[in-house]
Amino acid sequence: MKNILLFSILLLGCYAFSQEKFTLSGTISEKDSGETLIGVNILIPELQTGTVTNQYGYYSITLPKGNYSVYFSSIGFATEKFTLDLSENVKKDFALKEDTESLDEVVIEADGEKLNIRNAQMSANTLSVKTIKKMPVVLGEVDVIKSITLLPGVTSAGEGASGFNVRGGAADQNLILLDEATLYNSSHLFGFFSVFNPDAIKDLTLYKGGIPARYGGRISSVLDIYQKDGNKREYHASGGIGLVASRLLLEGPIKKDTASFLVGGRSSYAHLFLPLFGNDNIAYFYDLNTKLSYNLNKNNRIFLSGYFGRDVFEIADSFANSFGNTTLNLRWNHLFSDKLFSNLSLIYSDYYYGLELKFVEFNFDSGIQNYNLKYDFTHFISNNIDLRYGLNSIYYKFNPGDVTPTTESSGINPFKLTDKYAWENAVYADAEIEVSDKISVQAGLRLSTFNRLGQDELFLYENDNPILFNEDLSIYQKAKPIDTVSFSRNTTIKSFANLEPRFSISYLLNENASIKASYNRMAQYIHLISNTTSPTPFDIYAPSGKYIEPQLADQVALGYFRNFENYSLEVETFYKEVKNRLDYVDDADLIANNAVEQILLNGEARAYGLEVLFRKNEGKFQGWIAYTLSKSEQRTPGRTSIETGINNGNWYHSPWDKTHDVSITAQYELSKKWSFGSNFIFQTGQPTTYPEGQYEFNGVVVPVYEARNSSRLTTYHHLDFSATWTPKPNSEKRWKGEWVFSIYNVYNRKNAASLSFRENSDINKNEAVRLSIFGIIPSVTYNFKF
Amino acid sequence: MNKLLLLFIFSGLLSSCEDVVDVELNEAPPRLVVDAALKVRKDGSASSTIKLTTTAAFFDDNVPVVPDASISVTDGNGKIYPFEYIDEGIYYSKSLFPKANLDYTLSIQYKNEIFTATAQLQSTPPLDFVEQRNDGGFTGKDIELKVFFTDPAGEDNFYFFEGLSDRGDILDVYNDEFFDGNTIFGYYLVEDLAAGDEVQFNLYGIDEAFHNFMFILLQQTSDQGGGPFETQPATVRGNIINETNSDNYPLGYFRISEVSTLNYTVQ
Repeated sequence: MKNILLFSILLLGCYAFSQEKFTLSGTISEKDSGETLIGVNILIPELQTGTVTNQYGYYSITLPKGNYSVYFSSIGFATEKFTLDLSENVKKDFALKEDTESLDEVVIEADGEKLNIRNAQMSANTLSVKTIKKMPVVLGEVDVIKSITLLPGVTSAGEGASGFNVRGGAADQNLILLDEATLYNSSHLFGFFSVFNPDAIKDLTLYKGGIPARYGGRISSVLDIYQKDGNKREYHASGGIGLVASRLLLEGPIKKDTASFLVGGRSSYAHLFLPLFGNDNIAYFYDLNTKLSYNLNKNNRIFLSGYFGRDVFEIADSFANSFGNTTLNLRWNHLFSDKLFSNLSLIYSDYYYGLELKFVEFNFDSGIQNYNLKYDFTHFISNNIDLRYGLNSIYYKFNPGDVTPTTESSGINPFKLTDKYAWENAVYADAEIEVSDKISVQAGLRLSTFNRLGQDELFLYENDNPILFNEDLSIYQKAKPIDTVSFSRNTTIKSFANLEPRFSISYLLNENASIKASYNRMAQYIHLISNTTSPTPFDIYAPSGKYIEPQLADQVALGYFRNFENYSLEVETFYKEVKNRLDYVDDADLIANNAVEQILLNGEARAYGLEVLFRKNEGKFQGWIAYTLSKSEQRTPGRTSIETGINNGNWYHSPWDKTHDVSITAQYELSKKWSFGSNFIFQTGQPTTYPEGQYEFNGVVVPVYEARNSSRLTTYHHLDFSATWTPKPNSEKRWKGEWVFSIYNVYNRKNAASLSFRENSDINKNEAVRLSIFGIIPSVTYNFKF
Repeated sequence: MNKLLLLFIFSGLLSSCEDVVDVELNEAPPRLVVDAALKVRKDGSASSTIKLTTTAAFFDDNVPVVPDASISVTDGNGKIYPFEYIDEGIYYSKSLFPKANLDYTLSIQYKNEIFTATAQLQSTPPLDFVEQRNDGGFTGKDIELKVFFTDPAGEDNFYFFEGLSDRGDILDVYNDEFFDGNTIFGYYLVEDLAAGDEVQFNLYGIDEAFHNFMFILLQQTSDQGGGPFETQPATVRGNIINETNSDNYPLGYFRISEVSTLNYTVQ
């Protein structure tokens, strides 16, 4: 409330003193392709002010009448300058040319960085696809998720897992947006690859804290990924041939400078990837990215984009499995005026998981579907106030599982887990204000609501308590439903509403340094039901409702930001508390469970830490050192004094708690023909639960386990190298090719992905077995463009 | 079901990167372990044995047996059946033949503490026939056996299945949720099974609580236990209560099952 008041006062003040002002606005694109550019700095040195292009390449800045020099700058592009006599509203679309003179530094770049430290937004990292492509990766496949795990505060859910954890949060607490559409699963082949085709991606930003009010629905982070629009000038193809997968992307104009298309496909080679299996077995993935963009006129643009990805496994004739995301979205950019930009998105997205067990003759299908409407406005009020507001409405259908027999003679009966429905709505407003030369503020408020809609056969329990505590045995047991009720779809069974304030402030200490602070509250209404450490495709989302409360997170962060000549330093510390973090009773069985409420308990989580990022952004040698010191833990106390809760109600390490996390990444451009990249990663071992004894029961050896996550796997580290060879960098031919040679895990460290304990039946002795997924892996990829 | 799935996928995909390592483990003080399964055959004969052991350090070769406890079972009519110690931690009653719909209460006195549990006889259908395929398994070359039985319709049934041979044992639990009233099978697949091998199949009637207990236990004892996609493991408590000192809880289970047995010679 206070924020709104403050904002209104500022707004009033601003209008009251305004003299004659005009607006400079337009769209910035890349010269060769017409591709719009995100995050280009527009600087007006005379006023020590500026702005940045938004996700659609649009900018707008309102200035007093006068003569100015205007600079457009973006890393990797030649800076452009023009002189402006501002005596009326000016529309200036600009095309930047890629800086082929191998990243010569331009004086103005320093100003670009200064703007960055001035901005109130903290805890956000933007990576360009160019940077990502230079990093060495396992099996030579460029991987978006793996590259963001090199940032401070971000860790991977485990070796070979594509899910990621941000600031001690769970993997399902990340909002992953591809062209504004939500993705539910970010990995292929059980985490060996992420679902994003790097050729189709333009830009990505990861928000770890100080999350702006326009985002909501997940409590830990936002990974906002934008696909390319497609070349509006010329037809082009790009692609790569690797050991595991190949990809091809085609783009070009449908109508020059007006309409373009982009189609990208990727597929793995089944027979090469899993040579261990016989010929009858198949394992592969593919995905398809498509986009059409159309500039209707100066004020209207339309985008239609789609993503379709699937993984397929078949093992002999006993087992078949396929899963993946589908998204389809239609967006409409409209300029109401040169100061008011709007985007309307209509999005369909679904996640499907299907399984056929041929030898028991049944099919299992599950998934989540949603329809999403977003209407976002950006109001460029003056050169020091941007106001964003909008609304969001999502309709969900959850299918937790549908079992159907595949043959007449199947011994399995058809069985349907009850479908669930929900409707999530939000409105928000967010203002970015330059309060003074030194102080910038970003203040916002989001109101989110969640209605759990009517469904068939909702279970009712005595005292509304689906999970009982057996005092004699000191264990939790499922309660028997006393009744079931069915509701029509348009009734609300249960509703929730949350106010989510967001606030960030920066204070400029001097030309090159600033401090920033932020607070955000986030609400999350859907929960991944999984008690494994990484999101695997077997996992199922469940909505909040009668028995499940929404998760609420409060996060505060404080940071120091500094630019040196070619370097930058970011130091941040954060503290995060999560209410209503679900936990599962010991050894809960989650698969095909029609009443997950019977195995869930409501707990809490907290995380805190220190992050340091020292980065060199320019020159032949680029890269960064990231260090994170953090702790992430959770607890689930008993609901009454008799109950034990989980792990006796004590705090325990969350599975992704890594005390120390060091990532070093470096790229060096030796010549136009050769460039090199290297990563080094060092992390405290993952928490795990070991046996502290054994016993014999019914002839088998059973482990006795210690308290949850009280031990750790051994320290995790590896070093990777890559070299890129461009045989003919100066070739005038259209065809441009490069070879990428890479070695993952150079010194062949056997990192434990897990340690399992079992009885070796040959020698009748118990043993600990280390599972390490990636040893040293050399690979070669050929990339081309024409 | 997920266990099955993981087994299928990961046994093939990842087994090549496994190695045995040395790990220092903590050691918990020993607890009493009760393996009390009273088995009643279709002809009414019974095998009423109970085995008492204690827990041991994880890497120990053997678990210690308990020879010095006193055990009895009391039925719902107040009749007491004493158990005698034989050997190897095994206690035996020659007079106990459990009947349906009657409570039986186990009582164990050990080191001045009293442990109790109560159970009822759970019935089971007969095992009818075996179907053999010689092109089963991942390789398509293993011998696969399915032993069929018919689940009684309209009631919740739970089963504990054993397939035992010198080539290896398969233990599994079934819940009739997905096959109520149908003819369904227990599945037996071990490596190197060959013509002439003898396999014994046992199907026990169990209650839901034991089904859940055994389901978790089997998950924790399988070769895939503790893999990257496993559930969080924790020590599983059974149905036996320490009446004297609840912190010193015992492990194991007391159950009374009807059992159907079928012996099969691989063709």
